[in-house]
Amino acid sequence: METVLSLDHFSKVYSNGRGARNITFSIKRGQVVGLLGPNGSGKTTIMKSLTGLAQPSEGMVTIFGKQGTDREATLAKVGALIEQPALYETLSALDHLRMAAQYYPNVGQERIEKVLQIVGLMPYGKERCGKFSLGMKQRMGLALALLSEPELMILDEPTNGLDIEATVEIREIILHLAKEKGVTFLVASHLASEIEKLCDTVLVLYEGEMLSFETKEEALRLHPSLEDYFLAKVRDKKGSVVL
Amino acid sequence: MERFLVNLRNELFKLSKRKKYLVLLILGGCVCVASALQVLVVNYFTHGGIPRETILGGLMSSNLSFVLLLFLPLIAIMAASDLFVGEQVDHTIRFSLMRPIGKGKLFFSKAMAVFVLCAFDMGVLYLVTTLTQVVLGGGTEGILTSLGACLLDLIPMAILILFFCFINQLMKGTGLTVLLCVVLYVGLLVLGTYMPVIGGLVFTGYLRWHNLWIGITLPFASLLPRIGLLAGYGMIFGSCGYLLFDRKEA
Repeated sequence: METVLSLDHFSKVYSNGRGARNITFSIKRGQVVGLLGPNGSGKTTIMKSLTGLAQPSEGMVTIFGKQGTDREATLAKVGALIEQPALYETLSALDHLRMAAQYYPNVGQERIEKVLQIVGLMPYGKERCGKFSLGMKQRMGLALALLSEPELMILDEPTNGLDIEATVEIREIILHLAKEKGVTFLVASHLASEIEKLCDTVLVLYEGEMLSFETKEEALRLHPSLEDYFLAKVRDKKGSVVL
Repeated sequence: MERFLVNLRNELFKLSKRKKYLVLLILGGCVCVASALQVLVVNYFTHGGIPRETILGGLMSSNLSFVLLLFLPLIAIMAASDLFVGEQVDHTIRFSLMRPIGKGKLFFSKAMAVFVLCAFDMGVLYLVTTLTQVVLGGGTEGILTSLGACLLDLIPMAILILFFCFINQLMKGTGLTVLLCVVLYVGLLVLGTYMPVIGGLVFTGYLRWHNLWIGITLPFASLLPRIGLLAGYGMIFGSCGYLLFDRKEA
């Protein structure tokens, strides 16, 4: 199967010493990979580097066979939601989607309406995003990520701020796109339960280091849940009991 | 080129949604009309000693100092800070950064959007002033000359815009960036005014670029060093601004 994304000895270290170090993994088409780690473990750093928001300190990022520095070629097939969605307060949801649609040749009004329907924002299309709640902004961020029908989706805490019903809906959308359309997902979360429900492969990050990269089946073979798996991996690294 | 134009359209759309630019344009238009009325009032109190055609002819030329040295730089400072440091501060720059467009195209399309806004404002002020001149009985004298002057003055305005875009890459706060732009701009203007030797070397000394081309018939060879100087400033500000923008993280 085609390799969609690969990181080879990737490092990105900020001036405060935080970041991610020596990360190597690759993702095949149709995989749903979860980045699992606590706050500050380097999940967002990796995602930012994949989408061109940050530049790697070392190593190589390859997306669809092209180097990450070739923004036009790589980002054309990538949809991303990093941290809180960046929305212009004076513009409406429709304005945002129309602006974003112009960068992609095959995205028209029909697709714009469809993604608004998918994320449940159709009735609020003409409302200014400055008036949106946190959950609505998150849905808007997802709409922008879905707009171009990307082959790779990079989602950082996609259900952050969403209610239970919306969380389930988003999860269903992700699983549907992965199974039916072969879309590849890289999803970050600090919640093991979320990763367990969504992903087929899990990558554990801790203090900027990659502790493991295994399929969910392998991870759950010796552990009752991903939470236990994560704690075991951290315990192995620290050599002591984690409370 | 297609993505450059797409982003240019988007940047202009974002600017058009900010009402302050419309308000400022209306105020600028009012100042231009008021300058004509002021001349007429003087004419009235001097019992019409000087004909209207004489005092209102070439009204835009007399308004150019206000437009070129105050109004357009103010617009350029605000627009550049809205599109660069303002977006960096509220993270909305990610909206463009996560789209399939190179950072070079992104930087220069933003700078171009500021230029288009300034050119549009200058065009509107030219029309308002010309209409005022004609309506108040000033005739059509100097209209074409003023148009030529406006078009020529857009060249140094482009360099000034690149300078503001470059300054926007140096700072992290909107207020501080606007302040630095204003201080540097005023400082360079004052320096050029009170030290003529330096004035010829600083790009702000050429904001009234039309003075070199209209009215004074200097040989082209003597204009070449000035053209080269301005082009050099443009290349320095453009490339330094782009390099810093390329290294910035959102």
